[in-house]
Amino acid sequence: MNFGLSEEQQMLSDSVDRMMAGHAQAAAADPISHWQDYCDLGLPALSLPEAHGGYGGAEEVMIAFTAYGRYLAEAPLLQPLLSGRVLSEAGGERAHDLLARIISGQDRVALCLWEPNSGWHWDAPQTKADPMAQGWRLRGQKTAVLDADASVWLLCPARMADGIGLFLVPPHSDGVKIKTMRTPDGRRVANFAFDGAYLPADAAIGDPTKNGALLARAIDEGIAAVCAEMVGAMDRLLEITVEYMETRKQFGVSIGSFQALQHRAADMLIEIEQAKSMTFHAVAAQRKDAANRSCNVAAAKALVNRAARFVGQQAIQLHGGMGMTEEYPAGRYFQRLTVLEMMFGNTDHHLSQVEKAGGVTG
Amino acid sequence: MDLGFSPEEEEFRAEVRSYLQQNIRACIREAVLEEQPLPREWNVEAQQILNRAGYAVPHWPVEWGGRDWSAVKRAILTEEIDSMGVPRPLPFNVALIGPVIAAFGSEEQKRRFLPAIANLDMWFCQGFSEPDAGSDLASLKTSAVREGDGYRVNGQKTWTTYAQHADWIFCLVRTSREERKQQGISMMVMPMNSPGITVRPIRSIDGIHHINEVFLDDVHVPAEHLIGEEGRGWDYAKYLLGQERTSMGNVGFSRRRLARIRARASQTQSRGCRIDEPAFRRRLTWAEIELQALSITQMRVIDEGSAGDTGSAGPDPKTSILKMKGAEMLQRASELLLDTMGPEAMCNGASLEGGDPLTEEGSERSAIVSAYFGSRKYSIFGGSNEIQRNILAKAVLGLGKRT
Ligand SMILES: Cc1cc2nc3c(=O)[nH]c(=O)nc-3n(C[C@H](O)[C@H](O)[C@H](O)COP(=O)(O)OP(=O)(O)OC[C@H]3O[C@@H](n4cnc5c(N)ncnc54)[C@H](O)[C@@H]3O)c2cc1C
Repeated sequence: MNFGLSEEQQMLSDSVDRMMAGHAQAAAADPISHWQDYCDLGLPALSLPEAHGGYGGAEEVMIAFTAYGRYLAEAPLLQPLLSGRVLSEAGGERAHDLLARIISGQDRVALCLWEPNSGWHWDAPQTKADPMAQGWRLRGQKTAVLDADASVWLLCPARMADGIGLFLVPPHSDGVKIKTMRTPDGRRVANFAFDGAYLPADAAIGDPTKNGALLARAIDEGIAAVCAEMVGAMDRLLEITVEYMETRKQFGVSIGSFQALQHRAADMLIEIEQAKSMTFHAVAAQRKDAANRSCNVAAAKALVNRAARFVGQQAIQLHGGMGMTEEYPAGRYFQRLTVLEMMFGNTDHHLSQVEKAGGVTG
Repeated sequence: MDLGFSPEEEEFRAEVRSYLQQNIRACIREAVLEEQPLPREWNVEAQQILNRAGYAVPHWPVEWGGRDWSAVKRAILTEEIDSMGVPRPLPFNVALIGPVIAAFGSEEQKRRFLPAIANLDMWFCQGFSEPDAGSDLASLKTSAVREGDGYRVNGQKTWTTYAQHADWIFCLVRTSREERKQQGISMMVMPMNSPGITVRPIRSIDGIHHINEVFLDDVHVPAEHLIGEEGRGWDYAKYLLGQERTSMGNVGFSRRRLARIRARASQTQSRGCRIDEPAFRRRLTWAEIELQALSITQMRVIDEGSAGDTGSAGPDPKTSILKMKGAEMLQRASELLLDTMGPEAMCNGASLEGGDPLTEEGSERSAIVSAYFGSRKYSIFGGSNEIQRNILAKAVLGLGKRT
């Protein structure tokens, strides 16, 4: 174990930080306009094999997502991480072509994991792909697809006799209905209905008997990344809160001089440090075998979720009325943390994943 | 001692329930139960129906519409109003400014304001807090300077709930500089359409527009709009905060949320229902048990308070228990409600093509997520949890009193 950053990691950290700080300064109406800068830094390919332009692993992903959380960045970074892994491993010409266009920033893709009324269980999709003479017909519904709109490719898991099929759905396809909404923290999210959408034969990628395991791996990487994002956001939120406690005066003194509030801030710090440790654990777990990896990643998400809820709520409390306004940053961090708590599963969900696996193993 | 409800009290509960069921429109109750923001007219409609039955201001003096009911009966009424999803009588009117005018206002003020306040013909908002005077309310700076037949008022109020709906505002203002900051404060009322009053909306983190900044620039306030005596505003404010305690613990409101959680969590999903998850079920059951305890604690505190009227000495410090625990229960319920949701919680109800949330109100956020964010306010307004703990430690336990 070595907690220090290598020279390359420090460079990555500095350049990501610089870019995201810049974007945070010049807020764009549409965060997608920042996306090309991410591609220029090679972020969508970060943890992929070198052949695809990758130059790191889960540690580097953590570095990027920590900054992403700190600056409440909004360019669509999570989706290419998830889909990138799936496309590069599933293989095939179609998948690799699309991957190249995603990495260069020409195209975007979104993985559609969840379906209505199924909680966070993604491993038994109800969406079906019926084989036809020349291709497939897709029927079903997907919900809560982050950073999706009508212009993105969809990577859509569907039920097959021998496992999970993975289908590439081009933007603006016939038979695909979309409803775009905002997440509670103001990002783009969409629901999709596939009403017999026709797909060509080569839209199916990967091997249905192996796609489930591949998705599980991509999701676990995604969870570790989201944990890092949450830690970045919590770190900054505590800084903002402490700054506020120092400047806000009531009863003739700064509210930071009240011991009750000092203790609360100290408790927040403890929770954040624990969350950071568990995020490191989730990163390290990426190298383990599948069962071990998933259990430890779920344990990390459970703890980081709980920390985020505590830190978010207390930050609002310590700000008083100011915490309740959308105009002040504390509230936006609280909103982001709440959405991330739900990303891939809330605390109860991940706790029961750990329990099903027989508890935490080293 | 008789620790059960009397037959008369049970009968009263049934009577209230059937009146509310028959008279308050179902669409209004459904909106309240789903925690959708209500149009102003629905609040007015509901309060007028309550007022007809004497349910809006039972705690007021009888000559102004009060009912002389026991504290227990009033608590039953509040619980029924809340758990049935009936909009509460506007607290700024019935619990805050109304009792102050009834106790300290001139006869003319009572005649002019009280019936209109009870019937919500006049909607009042509360102009106490200022940017630099929150927990430390007594450091408020808005000034009222004597001028001819009245006052000229300058300053800024903030976090003013429903200023956008209000016809009138009651304000604490500084009429003189004294040695102690609690002195020299006066209470006055102003029509919201007075020249010099500007309202700026504040969008809160639940995506809804409840609160506002209110700017007061050279507002002329005639002397007859001063409430009681000049310089006694702080006493009146303390008196006002000691009034209606039956809604302090928000028991009916939390009960309604918990019932909704049980119902939602019992809905079958393709992969089992939430109520089958032991961790979730335990938390819900604990919340139900604690709420039961709170409902009795609330009755006890109210009962103690009514035995010896605390008058202008201010609120019984034990009401801090109700305020804090009540806030905690609402917040826990809002978390449990959030935790019944799957990934759908990440999607707002309205599609992107919808309008500005400031005008579209709650449609912008799914109501459950919005209620989770919004519920954080319960431990902040009306004396934050920290201030309530200070009161309990000092006033009830006697800690930190240096001799
Ligand atoms: C949704 C909402 C609606 C509101 N509606 C109204 C309204 O209609 N009219 C109105 O007049 N006001 C209203 N308020 C204002 C409300 O009463 C104040 O927010 C409250 O008094 C706290 O003041 P503040 O926001 O300035 O926080 P601050 O007083 O700055 O407090 C910040 C933090 O410091 C803590 N703190 C302060 N002093 C101490 C201490 N001595 N010891 C320990 N901790 C301390 C607080 O608990 C809090 O955590 C509303 C507020 C909210 C959030």
